[in-house]
Amino acid sequence: MAGVYLTTTEFLDDAKSAAKDRGMPGLRMVALPADKYYRARASHEELMPVANATFSTIVDDLVRPLTAEETKPEQAQKQLERANIKVTGKDFLDASEKVNELFLDNHWGDGLPIVPPTPALVKAMLAGTKRSPEEVLGQVPPKQGTATVEKIAINAVMAGAKPEYLPVILAAMDGFTDKHYDTTHFMASTGSFTPVVIVDGPIAQELNVNSGIGMLGHGWRANSTIGRAIRLSLLNLGQTWPAVNDMALTGRLESYTFYTFAEDTAKSPWEPYNVSQGFQAGDSTVTVASSGNPSIFGGGAVAPWTGQGVIDQIAARIQSGGVVWPHAETHIIVLHPDCAVDLASRGYTRKSLQEYLYDKTRVPYERLAGPTMFGSQNEVEFIKAEIADGRIRPDRAQVFLDALKPGGRVPVVQSPDDFHIVVAGGSPGYDLLFTYPGTNWAHQTKKVTGATLTKEGR
Amino acid sequence: MKRRANWALVAAFAAASLCLASAAAAQVTLEVMNPRGEIPPPKTLGITPRGAELAGKKIVLIDNGKYGASNFLEVVADMLKQKYPSVTIVMYPKPSAQTITDLPKWYPTVKQQGDLFVFGVGD
Repeated sequence: MAGVYLTTTEFLDDAKSAAKDRGMPGLRMVALPADKYYRARASHEELMPVANATFSTIVDDLVRPLTAEETKPEQAQKQLERANIKVTGKDFLDASEKVNELFLDNHWGDGLPIVPPTPALVKAMLAGTKRSPEEVLGQVPPKQGTATVEKIAINAVMAGAKPEYLPVILAAMDGFTDKHYDTTHFMASTGSFTPVVIVDGPIAQELNVNSGIGMLGHGWRANSTIGRAIRLSLLNLGQTWPAVNDMALTGRLESYTFYTFAEDTAKSPWEPYNVSQGFQAGDSTVTVASSGNPSIFGGGAVAPWTGQGVIDQIAARIQSGGVVWPHAETHIIVLHPDCAVDLASRGYTRKSLQEYLYDKTRVPYERLAGPTMFGSQNEVEFIKAEIADGRIRPDRAQVFLDALKPGGRVPVVQSPDDFHIVVAGGSPGYDLLFTYPGTNWAHQTKKVTGATLTKEGR
Repeated sequence: MKRRANWALVAAFAAASLCLASAAAAQVTLEVMNPRGEIPPPKTLGITPRGAELAGKKIVLIDNGKYGASNFLEVVADMLKQKYPSVTIVMYPKPSAQTITDLPKWYPTVKQQGDLFVFGVGD
């Protein structure tokens, strides 16, 4: 079917890149002037000048005969990324500086100094895993670069990671390359989403991954370099760059290391989070999940708080949010140990807490009558379309249908399991809510395997 | 005098050569590995041929759900109707503003709606 794709001038390069990645380099596009369109889009009257300026181009793209190149474009060739690079300097410092300049000029770095990934260092890194260097984990969007164990090891060296961290980094990448994880959205979206990386099980302690005070901050090599290795792997394997095809408008708040921390299973009153996800007690795992910026709850060291108060504040925040995408919302709630213990003393298990949140966050039907924040379709019609399209699971569909009437209360998640409760933080501490209003495929937990330098994760 | 000058020149040349050799010996070459993923090339397709004119065509305007897109497409719809009275406009909004790949059942239905499409506004 012939047609034309409308975008804005700020997104034209991104759109062309995406079209080429999907095998349609000739897709006709019209770019609306960004400086005029975004300010004018609230009304027809204000949009008239923008439409007048672009109308003839839109029509022309709909009728103009194809060129030979548009009819039969040149087939894309495999982009080889195998050759090593030699860089010479007057001394080691100079050579190292030149490597850093080269990598950043090529968009192969994150702006911080990297450890030059020499073959010797990469070989040493690969000694941390039994997995074959040639093993393919999957493809990384947006450009669908192939993630191999060796390529990830190269990025891990650049990040300054130790070889014993590699199995954890690989488990995280297993998550991001899983076909049920929508990595494209957080890598490219204007929403500046940042992954959460949660190390669980005994390997967390063995590698000294921080789960206490300062767990989202600096100072722990494991947290910082595991997170950075994952970040560099996604950047380089997916071949993404700000304002080219990574359109995070403000940039991610934790762009260099993501939110990387460990669960404190020793202080948790409940089973480890990974056991609640179906793993065996004693397994070491990594959970990756996309997220917006976290919200902070509780009183910390300065104000009184109770576990019930914290949970009710979290529920109120979720319920009052402006978007209801019940097929999509995922919430990760990180309770500091004292809060978890307080809730357990009130009789909550992880499961009963999930059910409590599920019930408390339901949105009154009457609130859904207006248009969605995006378009003209109202929320009720939107949810019904999601059910018809199978994007709300068939086993949960009736729950939503029953709620879509006056007096009904519509869930914000597909099931209570979409509230993920993890125990981490110090004493005193705060509690965190990580929310992702994206697609429902934004959460994976993978087992750490193949470790050679640690007791755990083998 | 001339012989002394010659020896001085030879000595200067030898000294310069020694310095260059030392500098060359001190140079460091780092061999580093490429961190990028290889990209399997997608099958590349041409785009659909156009008819010569819009007259009598059914044009499907697809609102992708982003804020402002429906307004812009409605303005375009009015302009199309004014300038090309014989066209038929079909407003066919995308079900949600979310990931473009997440609607495998919906995209094939677009083709059934008309002859041409305008999709927007991507951002």
